[in-house]
Amino acid sequence: MIAYYTKTLYSIIKNDVLVLPSRMLVFFFIVAIICLPVVSNDPYLLRIIILACIYAIFTASWDLLSGFTGQMSFGHAFFFGVSAYAAALLNRHLHFPPWASIPIGALASVVAGLIIGIPCLRLRGTYLALTTLSFPIILLGIVHAFPDITGGELGISGLDRICRSRIGTYYIVAVSMLLSIATMWKLTSSKFGILLHAIREDEIALRASGINTTRYKIMAFCLSAFFAGIAGGLYAHFMRITGPSTLEVALSFQVVIWGVFGGIATIWGSAGAVFILFPIMEFFRFWPEFRMLIFSFIIIFILLYMPKGLLPWLRDQVEKECPRCKKKNISFRKTCRICTATLG
Amino acid sequence: MPSHILELSSVTKSFGGLKAVYDISFKMNSDDIIGLIGPNGAGKSTLIKLISGILEPDSGEIKFKNQKINGLKTWDIVNLGISFTFQNMRPFRRLPIIANVMTSCMSPRAMKRGEWVKRIEAKAMDFLEFAGISDMALEKASTLSQGDLKRLEVARAIATEPELILLDEPFGGLSPAETELMAKSIKRLHKGGRFGRLHSEGPAMIIVEHKLQQLMKMADRIIVLNYGETVTECAPKELVNNKEVIECYLGKGAL
Ligand SMILES: Nc1ncnc2c1ncn2[C@@H]1O[C@H](COP(=O)(O)OP(=O)(O)OP(=O)(O)O)[C@@H](O)[C@H]1O
Ligand SMILES: [Mg+2]
Repeated sequence: MIAYYTKTLYSIIKNDVLVLPSRMLVFFFIVAIICLPVVSNDPYLLRIIILACIYAIFTASWDLLSGFTGQMSFGHAFFFGVSAYAAALLNRHLHFPPWASIPIGALASVVAGLIIGIPCLRLRGTYLALTTLSFPIILLGIVHAFPDITGGELGISGLDRICRSRIGTYYIVAVSMLLSIATMWKLTSSKFGILLHAIREDEIALRASGINTTRYKIMAFCLSAFFAGIAGGLYAHFMRITGPSTLEVALSFQVVIWGVFGGIATIWGSAGAVFILFPIMEFFRFWPEFRMLIFSFIIIFILLYMPKGLLPWLRDQVEKECPRCKKKNISFRKTCRICTATLG
Repeated sequence: MPSHILELSSVTKSFGGLKAVYDISFKMNSDDIIGLIGPNGAGKSTLIKLISGILEPDSGEIKFKNQKINGLKTWDIVNLGISFTFQNMRPFRRLPIIANVMTSCMSPRAMKRGEWVKRIEAKAMDFLEFAGISDMALEKASTLSQGDLKRLEVARAIATEPELILLDEPFGGLSPAETELMAKSIKRLHKGGRFGRLHSEGPAMIIVEHKLQQLMKMADRIIVLNYGETVTECAPKELVNNKEVIECYLGKGAL
């Protein structure tokens, strides 16, 4: 029995994973994430990876809405903040444990997605971006207006930990990240994903196909809000404080930068970008004057030379598409691994 | 008395001061092919957009199978059984051609509950095969030529399994050979029956076209528009002798 499963697993790894560099990378990434606490127990390192996991969920959720569906959101912190505040209030005042307050926070975020999504249905492009930008600012105003409930500038502190032990926290966050990304990736590569792509390409033409675009746009808003909400809830309980910084404009832009850097409309690209950029940013923390400068130069460079984003660009370097069956192949192969057509 | 599949009564649409479509009424049966002609800017495309719900008429009524459809959303109209193509083709350029058709196969009208991607893909492939572009199914739509884009539009329109198809210039920009092929496909579609696994009931059609020669061979009736108004409605044969029609194309006093 065990031998059978080991053998199946081995054959999957050999036949499906090790044929493509990108798959190998994802595989080793997952293994590394799972094994990290075994190798190192450095609290600083774990903290950075945990935050990177949280931001990876957040960035992927932005990609779902803005990259796939083309509903450019410049106020994605709204969903993050709504959920962070909801989880904090539930935990602080009603003593909900984290495993309840995080999902409920995410649901609050879905409601927020409806609230944003419905007025944004008729807007697109710049107008949509400006409207979404304004929502977190409005909520920030409300937060400052009721300091008794929200803690005002100081925020709500003293929240419960996600888990007593550091390793436990790490695994909960890491597994949430892997599950969320996998779900989003699966969703976007299904038939639902085709419709999201089509909404971005030409909404009117999709209506002509008999698809209720309104419904799918709202669904995209809600799904994106849900995952952003998971990230927000995790963040609140990990930092043990929810403050106005979760609603900041800077956070909204940060997620756009990560997404564009990693490659939009991919999910894996935007999530992977966080694992590259976030540690680098943390590393340069001791050098604050140049941190933003270096960062900006990297972004400009990427936008100029790799318009698809860093990770899709890297992928194009090591893999090429079969002209016949459109499956990816490692770049030094002469014939396609699936259909044996000669590769150009 | 056979009931009409489509009934327009004094439909009017203006853009600012311009009356693009003015007081148009006609009825069509469920096996008709109606040709819609008129000089540039006559309001043909606007009329198609009014029926398909992309634009809403200012006044008048459009009935499909005795049900009023003006005011409904485009997708509801498509799901009732009307499909249409755009004059300037609007494919999803960055998606594979097959995905362009799959979206139509995913409309509530065409999709059975719980159908799998594989099944939808196979269905989309059938439609592409009918349109004659199945060999390029995996290419991006942006790589298609003008003629193939027209085919894609037709494949997308028939993929919702409509009872009435509105084709806006299906031969526009096609070479004579391509035109011939397209005309054949359309005739085949109208006759109905089985094409491979594809089953067609033989939908009614409204065809907007400038290439009169082809249109006259296909259409049962021709409606001529000029400045948004119906000039005449007649059989194709009568058209050549109709003085008003020649006048609206060539100008007054041409004869
Ligand atoms: N959205 C719009 N806004 C303003 N005017 C419009 C609009 N759409 C069409 N028109 C005008 O309405 C009139 C009819 O246009 P329509 O596209 O229906 O003509 P057509 O008969 O399809 O011409 P063609 O043979 O060139 O396709 C034209 O004068 C056009 O300029
Ligand atoms: Mg036109």
